[in-house]
Amino acid sequence: MSTFSSFHPFVVFSYFAVIIFTTMFTANPVLLLIAILSGVLFYALIEKPAAFLKDGLFYLLLFLIVSITNPLFSHNGATPLFFMNGNAITLEAILSGLRIAVMLIGILYWFKSYSIIITSDKFLYLFGKVLPKLALVFSMAIRFIPLFRNQIRKVSNAQKAMGLYSKDNLPDKFKAGMRVFSVMVTWALENSIETGDSMKARGYELKNKSHYSLFKFTLRDAMLMASIVFLSGIVFFGVICGSMDFAFYPRVEVLKFGAFQYATSIAFGILAFIPFFIEIKEKIKWIYFKSQS
Amino acid sequence: MKKNVILILVILLGVLIAFYNIDIQTVDEYYLSHLEDIKPDSKTVFLSVRCDTVLKNRDKLSKELNTDEFIPKDGVVLPKTQYVLRDDDTVFAVLKRSMQYNKIQFEFQGNPIKGKSGAYIKGIHYIYEFSCGPLSGWMYKVNGAFSSGDSSSFVLKPGDYIEWVYSCDLGRDVGNNYGSEGA
Repeated sequence: MSTFSSFHPFVVFSYFAVIIFTTMFTANPVLLLIAILSGVLFYALIEKPAAFLKDGLFYLLLFLIVSITNPLFSHNGATPLFFMNGNAITLEAILSGLRIAVMLIGILYWFKSYSIIITSDKFLYLFGKVLPKLALVFSMAIRFIPLFRNQIRKVSNAQKAMGLYSKDNLPDKFKAGMRVFSVMVTWALENSIETGDSMKARGYELKNKSHYSLFKFTLRDAMLMASIVFLSGIVFFGVICGSMDFAFYPRVEVLKFGAFQYATSIAFGILAFIPFFIEIKEKIKWIYFKSQS
Repeated sequence: MKKNVILILVILLGVLIAFYNIDIQTVDEYYLSHLEDIKPDSKTVFLSVRCDTVLKNRDKLSKELNTDEFIPKDGVVLPKTQYVLRDDDTVFAVLKRSMQYNKIQFEFQGNPIKGKSGAYIKGIHYIYEFSCGPLSGWMYKVNGAFSSGDSSSFVLKPGDYIEWVYSCDLGRDVGNNYGSEGA
């Protein structure tokens, strides 16, 4: 249970929305590095170390694949390194590929934290009244991958118990995987229909349906919300004014450093590390209290 | 185990085929330092590359390109130049040779060198399709007539004059009206 998730869902959701949107729409290396660093550090705090390291390997691989894909398809740029099939592999395309990889991995890490913190009950609490259908579909979609993974484990265990397994060669393993997958597709289709029916049976879309929720908007929520609004105001202003624009083609721009750039970067840095510091503060407090007793 | 070995062999074969199709050149190998000399009896063609329309549409041009370094002041990327015509030379082949000789950046899509698919010219001298508005891109004409066909299958005759022009309006601003006869 992380401290950050004990804040009011509205505040936490706005926070994620601001961070993810800013990261998605900027090409500025400083902002992107802040986003990926804060995203990974925060995720490391709220996830178990073993799971974090196991995931890390996969994301490292994804990072490499994404960053080498761009120079294979984009040949713009003033600094050719070598030529492949008549087109240039340029330094600019490689750097641009790195930028795409940093952005993608950063956003993925923020979304991983998001799915731990904004559970589907919080999401339905936020949007169930305003956009009931969309909220249901969205929360089902977010839940889908973890649920699918869980169910895959169950199905393959059942298959193993029935003796349908192989251990020594890859093609047979692949076949077994395909069998499990086809079971899963059927299950997923059926399950989503059942979920919809079940929600309907509980009167999900009825007009005067009441929610039970424990969320209260307290003073610390208001304080966090105020700082999010203030900091994201500075960041949005800086980004919209174009002070954070950055071009990779035809030649990689030199980073500009002026009052605007400093203000935007520092505001974004503080904003991105807020949840990290909240968690750290609580962890230190916990250790301190333990040492007192 | 046997199945594993077969799988590894198949993967290796795939990698080999991929490598066979990749042709890597260093920068020095790519840029040509010398082309055939033009003798009085050699067959020749002319080539020019221009981007005049960009000068009239600077407001639409993407910001990072809007400098004198990337947009020539007179709109001439390559003035009318004479090149020796080789056997079966296409519009694409002459353009590529000229760009390699003059060290001008250009990008194409497709695999015209091995003859597997046609060539689409995405950009010349850092000026790309869509660089100057959503209707912009490179087009070519031979002896004043536009061709909408593949430049790597357009075989040239001696004396032909190839013009690559950049359009910001689907060809209408450079005199190509093939798409708007009815209008």
